[in-house]
Amino acid sequence: MNYLFHILVMIGIYVILTQSLNLVMGYTGLLSVCHAAFYGIGAYASTLLMTGWGVNFFVALPIAVIVSVLLSFVVSIPSLRLKGDYFVLATLGFQAIIFGIMYNWVSFTRGPYGIPGIPIPTLFGFAFDSPASYTLLSLGLAALVVTFIYLITSSQFGRVLKAIREDEIATQALGRNTVLFKTTAFALGAGIAAIAGSLYAGYVRYIDPTSFTVAESLFLVTILAIGGSGNIQGPVVGTIILVLLPEVLRFLRIPDTIAPNIRMMLYALALILVVIYRPRGIAGEYGFE
Amino acid sequence: MDLSKRCEDVPTLEVRNLTRFFGGVAAVKDVSIAFPPKRITALIGPNGAGKTTLFNLICGYIAPTRGEILLGHQSLRGLKPWQIARLGIGRLFQDVRVFGKLTALENVLVAFPNQVGERFWEPVVRRAQTLKMQRQNVERAMALLELVCLADRANTTAENLSYGQQKLLAIARLLAMDAKILLLDEPASGVHPAVLETVMNLMTSLAKQGRTVVFIEHNISVVLEVAHWVYVLDDGEVVAFGLPDEVIHDRVTREVYLGV
Amino acid sequence: MLLQLLANGLCAGALYAIVALGFGLIYRTTGVFHFAHGAVYTIAAYLLYLFGVTMGLQPIGAVLIALIGAAVSGVLSEVVVYRPIARRISSPLATMIGSFGIYLFVVNAIALIAGNETKVLRPGVDVTFRFGSIILTRFQLFAFFAFVALLVAFVFFKRTQLGRLLSAFADNPMLVEVLGWNTSTIRIGVFAAGSILAGIAASLSALDVGMDPYVGMSALLMSAVAVIVGGVRVFEGAIVGGILLGIVQSLVVWRLSARWMDVFTFIILVLFLLLRPEGLLGKAVRLEEAR
Repeated sequence: MNYLFHILVMIGIYVILTQSLNLVMGYTGLLSVCHAAFYGIGAYASTLLMTGWGVNFFVALPIAVIVSVLLSFVVSIPSLRLKGDYFVLATLGFQAIIFGIMYNWVSFTRGPYGIPGIPIPTLFGFAFDSPASYTLLSLGLAALVVTFIYLITSSQFGRVLKAIREDEIATQALGRNTVLFKTTAFALGAGIAAIAGSLYAGYVRYIDPTSFTVAESLFLVTILAIGGSGNIQGPVVGTIILVLLPEVLRFLRIPDTIAPNIRMMLYALALILVVIYRPRGIAGEYGFE
Repeated sequence: MDLSKRCEDVPTLEVRNLTRFFGGVAAVKDVSIAFPPKRITALIGPNGAGKTTLFNLICGYIAPTRGEILLGHQSLRGLKPWQIARLGIGRLFQDVRVFGKLTALENVLVAFPNQVGERFWEPVVRRAQTLKMQRQNVERAMALLELVCLADRANTTAENLSYGQQKLLAIARLLAMDAKILLLDEPASGVHPAVLETVMNLMTSLAKQGRTVVFIEHNISVVLEVAHWVYVLDDGEVVAFGLPDEVIHDRVTREVYLGV
Repeated sequence: MLLQLLANGLCAGALYAIVALGFGLIYRTTGVFHFAHGAVYTIAAYLLYLFGVTMGLQPIGAVLIALIGAAVSGVLSEVVVYRPIARRISSPLATMIGSFGIYLFVVNAIALIAGNETKVLRPGVDVTFRFGSIILTRFQLFAFFAFVALLVAFVFFKRTQLGRLLSAFADNPMLVEVLGWNTSTIRIGVFAAGSILAGIAASLSALDVGMDPYVGMSALLMSAVAVIVGGVRVFEGAIVGGILLGIVQSLVVWRLSARWMDVFTFIILVLFLLLRPEGLLGKAVRLEEAR
């Protein structure tokens, strides 16, 4: 039963991550490979606030979101002028830089040693210390995030983002400041990823930089590519596959030593097939076509 | 959209001594043209004459090397394309540029300016107003689609429309934008006679309302039919201008087109 | 001290230059961001191990097999993945994603078969040579000589018809096709050549410090940085970028620390992307049209 709760918590966290990347990638058409960096910034910001200053989780979380949003401007403002490949490379560069800072600035982040002893989130005396309660927290926040994203994407804001994705020049010709919209979408994506980061930190109660690498960013892109992006369903499908596949492998009695490799090979194969035969993914609306 | 309603106070768009070099080549050379309201102006000339470049200069996609672009008394130099569009200058691109994965309805919806729900917090914080405006805009969008005979394709994704339908859609978008000055790059190319009829009627109605219509065209019969005034461009320069009948039959124009 | 650092940097840069040249050749000529270049690199290293150590072949033989394996892998990427994508999709980002898929698959397959741990090809300390105040290992020397040989070959090649053809192809593939050359053959040739270069660098590096399944990623990232820094528009850019990268990294390790080397490298990448995307050797191109 506890195991089921664990899966549900992870689903919650990854729904938040994939939906936030979807806002950037699927709706606005920006292939960003630095999303894990904002996930990590969220995790580290709330962790440092909770462990260093004794801040309550529910106060640390919004502050972490703001930190992530502010740092997103450092990435987006210079990079959004770049086209195609070069934008992707720039985000890759920033991801590596941010990871490098997390890993090497030992006096601030404790580097590779990580930060242990993250307190259990509490709200007005109620501690989310049981698997069931944390599941509620995780799924609750996920539901809020999905609702928020649904609301903004089904309105003009979402339409403009999609228009920018389809044809930025034509969108400008309709009187929209496309740079502002792209920056906003990127910032929202980063901020929401920070929610996932805080949630993760409060759950595993120990974080280190290795959860927030280039590989993780690329992995998030892979999940969106396979599940689909550009609508609400795609990332949900992607997240479910992501979470269920290891279970299927375990069911097939594939040994734990090689299971991660097999999983990644299956994802890789799915990715290649999807790109060739079904660019919009299983349930998505948009593929890089 | 009520095409009989008058559109007042449309400023005159003017370019003065407009010049743009690409490397050593002048794509647009010392061009001075005024586009007053209520007039349909045609720009004709062989390929490479600088007509589209002129449009790109006016719309702010490229910067002039020399010269002025004025909307009324306001200079447009240095403004970004989206700012120029907000001032009321609408553009139909030669390659149409509809939003492929959006439906026809969404294509028009996205064009209405100043919508509640456009800033990301509004759909959450000002929910009721957002929904209300959305409903109103859907009605207005459907009316526009009716106007361009695309109402039955409202929920088709734009990439699945024919070229001619996409062109009509792009024009509907311009109407949604309530553009005061319309710059149409080859509105007649590649479309059925029936669609062409609709387009020409729209152009005439828009001008009658008080808007400014400027179009680039290769189809001379269209020019003869709708244009009030014609400019002939060749090699980046204005080589002739005047009433359509006179200009079309002028010797200079023939030389320019036939290379004689 | 400084000389030693420069020498170390030069030899490291030599390897970067070789693998980057392969990457740049492919990128400039075909437009494909060949993420899988990293996979090809890894395949070469592991083939070397398989044939050189496990099967005990002569080093030369094992290296040759590694190079052939690399070439075949590169060509397979083009034929099995990139071509089907290109037939259906015009966006280069789709190809980049597909390429990453290849990388992911190959690297995990290798990790599955051969394990995640670092493998060393020859145990023990290496033979060193002394040049005045500089000490270099045998493999650093190999790297340097390989680089010089390649440089000479490159200079000659540029002047040949084939070299000019590739430059022309990079600028305008359709025109070259019209002139009677077969585009798909050229592309295959380019992938083969680029992959062989990756194989050479991989073999030298593997012989020197051994390998693990993830060396390909860092080889790829260094290639991308080198190509951007040196300049995409000319093939020499990769060479210049690679050498410079090696030297700069060496100096950074000396002045700051080894830990910050990666961060510094990527800061350089980002700075170049933002401030001088055409690279050191590229002509400062002002975008004529749209902003």
